[in-house]
Amino acid sequence: MSGVFYAAPHSNIKGPAGSRTVERNLLFLAALYLLAGIMTLYLGEPGVRVVITVAAGLTVAAVFLLIHFYWKVVGFRGDHYLLPVTAVLISTGLVFLFRLDPYYGVRQFIWILLGLGTLVFTSRVLLDIRFLGDYKYIYALLGLIALILPIFFGKVQGGAKSWLDFGYFQLQPSEFVKILLVLFLASYLAENRNVLAVGTRSLGGISLPGLSEWAPLVVMWGISLLLLVFQRDLGAALIYFGTFLAIVYAATARIFYVLFGLGLFIAGASASYYLFDHVRARVLIWLNPWPYIDNIGYQITQSLFAIGSGGALGVGLGQGYPGYIPLVHSDFIFPAICEELGLLGGAGIIILFMILIFRGVKIALRARDEFSALVAIGLTSLLGLQAFIIIAGVTKLLPLTGVTLPYISYGGSSLVANFILLGLLLNISHEADDSL
Amino acid sequence: MNQNIKKLGILIICLLAVLVFYLSYLNVVKGPVLAVNPHNRRLQEYESQIRRGTIYDSNGIVLAATDFSGEKNKRVYPRGRETAHLLGYISERYGRDGLESACDRYLLGLEGADRTRNYINKLLGREQLGGDITLTIDSDLQGLALNMLAGRRGAVVLLDPETGAVRVLVSNPGYDPNKLGEIWPRLSQDEDAPLLNRAVQGAYPPGSTFKIVTAAGALAAKPDAARETFNCRGFLEVDGYRLDDTAVHGRIDIKKAIAVSCNTTFAQLGLDQGAQNFVRTVKAFGIDRDPGIGIPVRPGSMATPEAFIPTELAASAIGQGELLVSPLHMALAAAAIANSGDLMNPYLIETVKDSTGQVLRQEEARHWLNVTTPQICGIIKDGMVDAVRSGTAAAARVAGVQVAGKTGSAQNPHGQAHAWFIGFAPAERPRLAVAVLVENAGSGGTVAAPIAGQLLSAALNKGY
Repeated sequence: MSGVFYAAPHSNIKGPAGSRTVERNLLFLAALYLLAGIMTLYLGEPGVRVVITVAAGLTVAAVFLLIHFYWKVVGFRGDHYLLPVTAVLISTGLVFLFRLDPYYGVRQFIWILLGLGTLVFTSRVLLDIRFLGDYKYIYALLGLIALILPIFFGKVQGGAKSWLDFGYFQLQPSEFVKILLVLFLASYLAENRNVLAVGTRSLGGISLPGLSEWAPLVVMWGISLLLLVFQRDLGAALIYFGTFLAIVYAATARIFYVLFGLGLFIAGASASYYLFDHVRARVLIWLNPWPYIDNIGYQITQSLFAIGSGGALGVGLGQGYPGYIPLVHSDFIFPAICEELGLLGGAGIIILFMILIFRGVKIALRARDEFSALVAIGLTSLLGLQAFIIIAGVTKLLPLTGVTLPYISYGGSSLVANFILLGLLLNISHEADDSL
Repeated sequence: MNQNIKKLGILIICLLAVLVFYLSYLNVVKGPVLAVNPHNRRLQEYESQIRRGTIYDSNGIVLAATDFSGEKNKRVYPRGRETAHLLGYISERYGRDGLESACDRYLLGLEGADRTRNYINKLLGREQLGGDITLTIDSDLQGLALNMLAGRRGAVVLLDPETGAVRVLVSNPGYDPNKLGEIWPRLSQDEDAPLLNRAVQGAYPPGSTFKIVTAAGALAAKPDAARETFNCRGFLEVDGYRLDDTAVHGRIDIKKAIAVSCNTTFAQLGLDQGAQNFVRTVKAFGIDRDPGIGIPVRPGSMATPEAFIPTELAASAIGQGELLVSPLHMALAAAAIANSGDLMNPYLIETVKDSTGQVLRQEEARHWLNVTTPQICGIIKDGMVDAVRSGTAAAARVAGVQVAGKTGSAQNPHGQAHAWFIGFAPAERPRLAVAVLVENAGSGGTVAAPIAGQLLSAALNKGY
């Protein structure tokens, strides 16, 4: 194993209790990165408005360091790399939101503080996540209700009817339900793993699973379709189903599930292609957006222009024209980063996600029990798939499905949910088995 | 289970790695093209920050330059309507077109060392500079060609068959690009389509000028055809349809048939070689392609293979039927015969220099297509020489120089025939190939051939 996952001597997944030197040093670098970005904005356009930006930047950097010191004091032994890497992603998002539209910058700043609060809360209250496995049917039900609510009381935004409107802010339940989904599946599979891993019936020598085995698959497929059909939320449907397949594969190693799942996916995708205009439009502009540059292809072509205009080093923070891209503050923040920070900036963001995935897999491998391991790999897959789906979407590698870029895009629900995800991963690493 | 987790982790990291590679491809390979796409609104922003480069003709005469004296930079075109279609325009409201748009990456200094230099200039707050373009166009001849069209709708193309350098590319009606803002509403409504570059975007039946293509196909399919004679009775019956000729030409060979432009003979030659051969020849001349001269060219079109029934084949063989081509394509057909079947790649941009005067690109003569053999070209050339010496194209004669040519009077549903002339000179060692088209003006021999003759004469006098 050490051959595959090289670890420097000081990079133990859990440092000695009370000493989080690696995390501290990296957080200082992340803070420098954030302040450099904020200063660039400040020097570019000084004024009262920019003072808020500077204040927000300093506060966020300070709160990240405070969390570090708090964990150090209470002896938290969670992974050292997750928080600094997240801090760089959060900083990039914050700087770009202030640069694109200070209105979103200020709101994102408040959401970041709330998210960091949630992170600390999670790292204290849910420290031992195993008890979460005991209530799986309760929150399966809660999750389902939360998903169904927007269908009746929802608000349409960005083409998707997946928002609950609370006046001052809007909530997107599907962002939180995806974590409940991972917890539920991990708990269910940790219990039934051994039964599922071998077939119960056999047909001509090939072992076939029984009804109890493929039923959950079909139910999950149904939930994804529910999202797709009633909320028109293609991105969420794709992430739910992808995460589901990932956890099932991790638990059972049965390629049958993956193939069967892919079959269901293809069937669902083709059916929705023929049934729904908005799905057909997405495929159409994915294949060739240029004839539709003035209408449905406008957004993706503007995204490509932004990426193509950046060059290797980018035109510089504040020097590009990302404002041409509709929804640049949310789903389309990545092309803005590519235009102003260039290929190096864009690739850097992807590599940071790769580091998060790498640490997530390490945590899963060292988890103390099967439930924790499945939660860890489930959450890791969720994060990785979401980043992949939106970046592939805005670069036209895959058809565009509107989801946020975790930790970077504007969005309160997404931000808080992803901080809970981070907290859970950290807790699992805190509990990790050192003997491995 | 750990094995599964590892495999899954590797899969997700690989997916993200694919993104890094794809992003690099998008950025490095596609980036320069995307950056100068006419729909990229950033170009308008660059325009205000960068000293856009100048476009010169082959003699160093300024064709497009930016005036920095006013409050706002203004693009000026000293030659006005003479170069309107060729150069196109850059307008905040009406978009970008023509060579101005095609050369954005050079004129705005987004290419080569200028890219880095302008990046530094921008950081230091200094003026950013674009590069300059020199065209193969001769603006005097360009003006002469426009004058000779004398207000009639049409197009003229003159190029060097030995190199592919385009000397004249004119379309009429045109407009004054210096006043684009004021006249645009009228231009876009005008039924005569003054914004259309007829020389490259026009779609016309080529009429009898196409007989040189049919002849090349017939001679390739059956070399003996050069020695055969045909009996023209003044009409040809194809599948019960009667195709009338302009006269009863009697017993003639293929050279004579070119000289007198005998429809009967060429319809028969088309039928004899068969649709497959005919289509192959059309493609060999590059008529179905955009040769890539810098501005978009409408590829010629013809009947689909299934629709090539004998009547359609006979009609296409004499440049009618569903066959539609641009004047540039016909000039290239003449150039192919002139250059013994070796068709050179046509081009408009001679040199590209960056803002310091360093040459970024120097266009050289490049072979494009092997159209046909020197022997076949020799036979067709003889026919075209006879057409000018004593046949339908006599009006294209130039004193002291032997011109080879072919006229056409293409029937069309919009009124009088389109007058065509294609040809080259001097016939012994051609240095110029020409195509003239005048819409609905009548006979090619009386309308188009004199324009070609005068243009060739002027060009030869200038030493081309």
